[in-house]
Amino acid sequence: MALDLIFIVRALVFPGFLFLLVLVLFFDWFERKVAARFQNRMGPSYTGPFGILQPIADYIKLFSKEDITPKQTNKLLFVAAPILAFSLFVFALFFIPIDGSNVILNSSFEGDLILVLLLVTLANFGIFLSGWASLNPYSEIGATRVLTQFLGYDIPLIILAICPAFLAKSLSLVNITASQSIPFALLIPWSCVLFVIVLQAELEKDPFDIPHAETEIVGGYETEYSGRKLAFIKLSEDFQFLIGAALVTELFLGGSYGPVLFGMPELWYVFWFMVKTIGVAFFLEYVGNVSARLRIDQVVHGNWKLLIPLSILSLALTVIVEPLLRSVIG
Amino acid sequence: MAKRRRLPALIKDVGLCIFKKPFTREYPAVKVEVPEGYRGRHIFYPDKCISCGLCERDCPANAIELVEVSGKRMPMFYLDRCIFCYQCAESCPREAIKLSTNFEMATTEKKGMLITPEEFISKQKVTPDEGKQHVA
Amino acid sequence: MNKFENAVEVLKNNLADAIVEFRVPKPRKAYILLKPERHRDAISLLLKHVENAELSTITGTDLGNEIELNYHMACGGTVTLKNRVSREKPVIRTITDILPGANLYEREVFDLLGVIFVGHPNLKRLMLPENWPKGNYPLRRDWEPHANQESGSNSEETSQKESAGELDDAGSIINVVVGPQHPVLHEPERFSFKVDGETVVDVEMRLGYVHRGIEKAAERMMFFQDVFLVERICGICNAAHTTCFCQAVEDIGNIDTPPRALYLRTIIHELNRVHSHLLLLGVAGHLLGFEALFQHVWRDREPIMDLVERITGNRLMSGFNTIGGVRRDLGPNIVAKARKNVEEVRKRAKFYKTVFEEDLTLRLRTEGIGVLSKSDALKLCVAGPVARGSGIAVDVRKDDPYAAYGEIPFNVICYKECDTWARLMVRAEEVLESLDIIDYALSHIPGGRLRVRVQRKQPEGEAVSRVEAPRGELIHYVKSDGTAYPYRVKVRSPTLANLVAFPEIIRGAYIADIPAVIGSLDPCFSCTDRMVFLDTQKGQRWHWSLDEVNNSKNRNGLI
Repeated sequence: MALDLIFIVRALVFPGFLFLLVLVLFFDWFERKVAARFQNRMGPSYTGPFGILQPIADYIKLFSKEDITPKQTNKLLFVAAPILAFSLFVFALFFIPIDGSNVILNSSFEGDLILVLLLVTLANFGIFLSGWASLNPYSEIGATRVLTQFLGYDIPLIILAICPAFLAKSLSLVNITASQSIPFALLIPWSCVLFVIVLQAELEKDPFDIPHAETEIVGGYETEYSGRKLAFIKLSEDFQFLIGAALVTELFLGGSYGPVLFGMPELWYVFWFMVKTIGVAFFLEYVGNVSARLRIDQVVHGNWKLLIPLSILSLALTVIVEPLLRSVIG
Repeated sequence: MAKRRRLPALIKDVGLCIFKKPFTREYPAVKVEVPEGYRGRHIFYPDKCISCGLCERDCPANAIELVEVSGKRMPMFYLDRCIFCYQCAESCPREAIKLSTNFEMATTEKKGMLITPEEFISKQKVTPDEGKQHVA
Repeated sequence: MNKFENAVEVLKNNLADAIVEFRVPKPRKAYILLKPERHRDAISLLLKHVENAELSTITGTDLGNEIELNYHMACGGTVTLKNRVSREKPVIRTITDILPGANLYEREVFDLLGVIFVGHPNLKRLMLPENWPKGNYPLRRDWEPHANQESGSNSEETSQKESAGELDDAGSIINVVVGPQHPVLHEPERFSFKVDGETVVDVEMRLGYVHRGIEKAAERMMFFQDVFLVERICGICNAAHTTCFCQAVEDIGNIDTPPRALYLRTIIHELNRVHSHLLLLGVAGHLLGFEALFQHVWRDREPIMDLVERITGNRLMSGFNTIGGVRRDLGPNIVAKARKNVEEVRKRAKFYKTVFEEDLTLRLRTEGIGVLSKSDALKLCVAGPVARGSGIAVDVRKDDPYAAYGEIPFNVICYKECDTWARLMVRAEEVLESLDIIDYALSHIPGGRLRVRVQRKQPEGEAVSRVEAPRGELIHYVKSDGTAYPYRVKVRSPTLANLVAFPEIIRGAYIADIPAVIGSLDPCFSCTDRMVFLDTQKGQRWHWSLDEVNNSKNRNGLI
């Protein structure tokens, strides 16, 4: 029977929803602390030891604020869009193996890599809808901006995600991670580097920070949201970051696999997953902190004129090199 | 003036910052040293005052008012108008106004914004060192 | 013969018939009273015969039954051309056709004194709000505040009517109001951009949101109190303002400032410059989205702030200068600390200079953007790093030395690229130059008195004083009528001079470049304000904040 205790525990607690929530809050704190340290300042320090409870404090604050819905919007859309985006992100995370297998046991299949990417795209569409439903020119601009940047960079993202899939001869994330006796980052480094750059654009971090710069100050697609709904939107952004970092880990760094020293292998898988993902998050933050923000036309040109050709070239190179690496991968 | 575009040294610099202590300090948990000569809260010596009124006349911000206390007209300072230029200290012919390094003048009540002569009358033997206060 | 003497000779020889009065009371300062309406000839002559001549500002003074207009021309020294018009009918011809840079100055005199400049392309209010009652000219001597409480029409209506006029070439209008309170506003100012697709076609500026009436307030306080008032015109360039004002009053009163005081003034002046330029480099990083650079530069600015605090008693408002000298001394241990701090900052400043020269993303955002050609810069009379970034080597410290600059060797930094990058690089290098000046001054301070005793009353007279503030040439004009209170104080800060050039620079640029360009102009009242956009093709109108402009892109079908 599908609906037994293990399923419920796995889906809701570990490594399901609650665990992911805690992980996301931890990543939020980590991001802020690392960015602060790069800028030679303290970052969150007062809430809890090293300020680790700061994201929780922020979300508690958001939940306790007044929740305003503009009068003339389509209420259903306005309320549902952020929740839609949020749920799609969480659902996408269910297909990323954290402790060696997916959250819902035995649910991995050939093609779940594509499913994850699809869910993320749909979720961004949900973000677009939330901005569009706000009936505020700022939100419209922000929403359109997000969609344009995201959809534009989705193309090289998918092309580059196919490279490790090609090497592993499978589109299932579980299989891709399982076939990384040597992490693919070492075997096809060009794909890894390009993937990280494209990911910066997908996650809207410097130097592709354009949508965020306006959302921080004016709001962008978040302008009209407040209280609980804003909390959902912010959580969605954080979940997206986790998905991005997790994808790099799964595709290029060997996923959860690492030396198992003692006890249950699952716990070690989770441990290695977290270590690698935190490393990726650190690196993404680093790249973000050493670059200025590019202008939107430079971003768009960079995508179409530079990254897409490069990603196609990288896929071609992977295909050419694959037989040589076959002996290594086994 | 096109210099070769190398990987900038900023990458290394920013990266190494991780290992440095933060430059910001946790005030008020950490004491803040203010240099001597900082223009802080006024100190007034009532027994030196001769009620000439030069401080009131010369203040650019009209922040001093002479009030009668114990039969003598002495200056009262409005901290919310004061610009801390210390023209009063310069104009006073008897050096009855001095500056301290006390910069923590925030208060929650309106009367905290007034420095009245009474405050100094009880401390007859105020010396300039007492003016130097650090964060407790 | 140097530039100033050349200018004076030119005027004496060619306009002998137009000159009523001619005085050169101090070296490099000439005051020439001309016959009515002869100012245009004088200015044209100066522009033709003197290299890099610029107009500093136009001062209007109410003399009772006449209004005197002073045209201060910067030609090596300051040549002030005076022209008088009657108070009942104050009309004079404009000079904007000869010198477009006079645009805002004439508008200001029109706004505050009521002088009509015939032939001005756009004689509208500059500083006062639209609903200010007509006929009320605050800078006239008989004007009292609260005298006339009836305002004009409701400001909302007036601004809409005015803006409706702007949009004649647009069809239907969608009005999006951001409101005067906005999280992104640092200091308020308004730009109306006319946009064609994503290229800026024209821009109209509305200033005066933080106009505090300092010039009028200065007439009500004594000279030495005015030093503090003038200091608070700008926090970042406070030493420049006090130096300038004190110099003007010392000129009027024939006060001999002791040499030690001059050196100390120079040191504080240069410290101001270093901290201001570092501030701008950080802000430029922030506007370009480079947060880490912003935080790092501001961290490395702290030794300078600490040093200023140690010397003067406050990090920002130094309160150091006074008429006749300076108020505090520099003991030997402060000198040692100063040298140490200067060395620290020098290392870091060199590093930031290379960052700006080499970082790829910064150069992508600043090179070739916001170009102001040298000839345009001269016509628009820009000042400071903006001029030096366009190849005009003009620096008041070299052309018209004041304080101790006559004795200190230094270079004038000039870049020829004329773009945003050049303007930022000028400032980065000037930091290093200033640190050298401070070192030299610290080693060569003469002994002696700090200040001379000065009376409250100053003799009758007038004086112009110019200094090189961090943002450019700052000019003060002080007129005294023999009492302890000044008759007229006029301040023209360098940002006003550079703002005139802003429309020229931004024309033809992308909207997304606007933040970078504004950052490179280094406006003292930071204009990261909301901007009104007019899309001339679609007839749409909306407001944006600076950071949204930061992120604008090709916007077909955006709204």
